[in-house]
Amino acid sequence: MMNCTTVNELAAAYALGAIEADEERRVAEHLSTCGQQHSDVRSMIEAAALVPVSLEPVAPSAALRGRLMATIAQTPQENAVPATPAQAPQPRAPQPIRSAEPRRPWWQLAPLPASLAAVALAAVVGIGSWNISLNQQLGDRDAALRAVASADAIFAAQGTAGAGWVIESGEQAIFMAEDLLDLPADQLYQLWLIDGDNAPVAVGTVSDTDGVALVTLERDLGSATTFAITVESERVDAPTSEPVLVASLGT
Amino acid sequence: MNDDRRTDARLAELIRSGDSEALGELYDRYAAAALATAMRVVRARDEAEDVVHDAFVAVWRKIDRFDADRGSLRAWLMTVVRNRAIDRVRARRPNMDLEVADERSLLRTGPNPTWEAALGRTAATDVQAAMASLPQEQRQAVELAYFEGYTYREVAEITGVAPGTANGRLRLALAKLRDALSGSTAAPLGSSESMFSEDTR
Repeated sequence: MMNCTTVNELAAAYALGAIEADEERRVAEHLSTCGQQHSDVRSMIEAAALVPVSLEPVAPSAALRGRLMATIAQTPQENAVPATPAQAPQPRAPQPIRSAEPRRPWWQLAPLPASLAAVALAAVVGIGSWNISLNQQLGDRDAALRAVASADAIFAAQGTAGAGWVIESGEQAIFMAEDLLDLPADQLYQLWLIDGDNAPVAVGTVSDTDGVALVTLERDLGSATTFAITVESERVDAPTSEPVLVASLGT
Repeated sequence: MNDDRRTDARLAELIRSGDSEALGELYDRYAAAALATAMRVVRARDEAEDVVHDAFVAVWRKIDRFDADRGSLRAWLMTVVRNRAIDRVRARRPNMDLEVADERSLLRTGPNPTWEAALGRTAATDVQAAMASLPQEQRQAVELAYFEGYTYREVAEITGVAPGTANGRLRLALAKLRDALSGSTAAPLGSSESMFSEDTR
């Protein structure tokens, strides 16, 4: 772990993006967790912002704007903003999302629409208190930061148990949540991936709900269309209850 | 929050909602500055325009990760441009991951509103004068780092000094730039080029 002195010493290089990737990662990690102000770093970032201002602006060609707008028209945004705010979790034990008896198993119902809160995710990564629950390709928070930073896709999960995110990074998928609702000691959250009408596949569990929970899923997302969490008394092969958290993995 | 930053924050909000015209407005505000940076790095106009195009597309795609309360949209955009430009010319750094670089850039884009306002009023000629007033070795270090994409350790190799000295030059140069343009009351940043502990030497 880098200390404050070293971070301050590297402030200028960090501000200019002139340090090795590993050093940059460690500086960023330190800044996200350190209680000190690090005014040196702030000062250097401000000064570094001046450097490109030293260049005289250069007018782009007339065609560039049109080319850009044509590209934008065909480029989806990552994690488009939800039309309505995410529903706040209920201050009680999680209840199944679908209380009415479905005629089909819940995993064969249409997934709930994803609502996206990647900004909140960034905040969780940066300032959350960490409870890394692992089975465990990810060994530490550094790896989590790398995974979030290099995420190929982030899917918001929400429900009566709280909110979380499924993060796809390469062939790895991670579930992250902050402050899931507490469960009785004899229960746990079980994580599932569902591919269409196929039976859910168990991909992990969470039992400690304090702080930020982070679980590497036991398989990649593959063609799964839905991620879900149920409350179980022990790890099971098929869900025995309705989901308390759901993410749509489709577009 | 100054007018530019407020406008940028509003633009970010609109872009986040999928408003492509807002991205067009952002382009109109900063494309010329972005192209200047890209051309300084890649030297060729066509390639520089590709860089600018790709940078605005990246901002469009990733706008949900930007928080106007924590950073400057302009500063983020300029860093995204720089990352892409350097990626084009720095073939010897094949491991540069632009996605990671963009994400980390968000952590380095937080000038405070007062400074941001001053930055908005700063003319290129003023910054050029401030850069020109730097000792040659400090100006060279900044240009190698920012526009050529070298790390301070690489700057040290190129200029034949210890890493701590190269890093000290970057630090002194930035401190002088800041002070020259703001009359800054920032805490003294030291006067020695080599102010590093052993692990950064």
